[in-house]
Amino acid sequence: MEFKDYYQSLGVAKTATQDEIKKAYRKLARKFHPDVSKEPDAEARMKEVNEAYAVLSDTEKRVAYDNVGQGYQAGQEFHAPPNWDAGYEFSGADSEQASDFFENLFGHMREGRRAQGQRQQGQRQPGQRHQQMDIPGEDQHAKIVIDLIDAFHGATRQLVLQAPQIDASGHVFMQERKLDVKIPAGVKEGQHIRLTGLGLPGMGASKPGDLYLEVHFSPNEQYRVDGRDVYAKTPVTPWEAAIGGEIDVATPNGKVRVTVPAGSQSGRKLRLKGRGVPGKPQGDLYLVLDVVLPVAKTDRDREIYQTMAREMAFNPRQQITS
Amino acid sequence: MTQSNFEAGLLFDEMQLTLDEFARACRRDAQWVKDRVDAELIRAAVGNAIVMQFSSVDLIRARRLANVEAMFEANEDVAGLVVDLIEEVEHLRKELNVAKLR
Repeated sequence: MEFKDYYQSLGVAKTATQDEIKKAYRKLARKFHPDVSKEPDAEARMKEVNEAYAVLSDTEKRVAYDNVGQGYQAGQEFHAPPNWDAGYEFSGADSEQASDFFENLFGHMREGRRAQGQRQQGQRQPGQRHQQMDIPGEDQHAKIVIDLIDAFHGATRQLVLQAPQIDASGHVFMQERKLDVKIPAGVKEGQHIRLTGLGLPGMGASKPGDLYLEVHFSPNEQYRVDGRDVYAKTPVTPWEAAIGGEIDVATPNGKVRVTVPAGSQSGRKLRLKGRGVPGKPQGDLYLVLDVVLPVAKTDRDREIYQTMAREMAFNPRQQITS
Repeated sequence: MTQSNFEAGLLFDEMQLTLDEFARACRRDAQWVKDRVDAELIRAAVGNAIVMQFSSVDLIRARRLANVEAMFEANEDVAGLVVDLIEEVEHLRKELNVAKLR
């Protein structure tokens, strides 16, 4: 695996004080916070920064990291020497979705490995019972992006997740696992799908955690979603808007025929009750009218427009005063 | 692929989380959640000290609160203000997206 230079991730010198590390972290956290950042790779950078801070802000982890990482550069192939962590006692919550480098050095399985190592080295006294470590598995969180049409009809998606595992010799490694997940119809943006028992494995007799999938819709040029309500941009001709008429419109749930009221303008919303994303309550579909002018390509087209200009006495700028 | 190869989860809001499940999903203890419900920073679907249940929206908000508190060592009120602002920005972006349809 590749060595990660946590000092480089935070932009601090290896001699930085804890205060300097904290300041650097907070500055980067403001820059890359995924809820507000406009940086294209904000989420990935935030994970990197969080992981670096989790190590460098913890005195013991920092010392251990400095010792094991001596002479390594970022990206260099890295192997932790055997028993490199002898004498250290790591504790506290670690980064969510940490890299395999982090998990290999500081994974939460470490307590179990140490217990396992003690048993193998015969430190258990005769007659002493096994000290089984029962630690419930942690929940795992992931985002899943679906198309709007999937919210109407349901879908299946394959997810690829990383989770720490222990091999036969007690080393932690990141394992990829693939899950085929059913997305139920009626799901809305921001909603969670909970998959019981599919989180991180527990230790000893404890149950695994759960997997939570936070649902997001992929960007769509024609539709916008707000809860279960769907807004659809609907082009109409000037005559359909002006004098009204029936139009056929494609929607996520099939074609519908609607009547455009006379005197409509761009931006007017026609509500189709109950035709939004299914659920309780059922969402509505709003057709947002967009009056599109035909281009005057021929002499005849221009003549029609000139007739309108001459005979309609219409000035949209009448209300604007200098 | 056969039907049995698919994992079917439950839509969160059809089966809401208990206090302990919610706390675990936030990686915090139950007291942390209760304190924030009392401070009206997190809304419990059933506002009862004995039986609390939480929805998807509550989980997103709570995880954000926990995140801001940990990141900036912020107290719960400051974290609450930050999360309120994040939610307001999200709401405004949604409205802007709808307006762009015109």
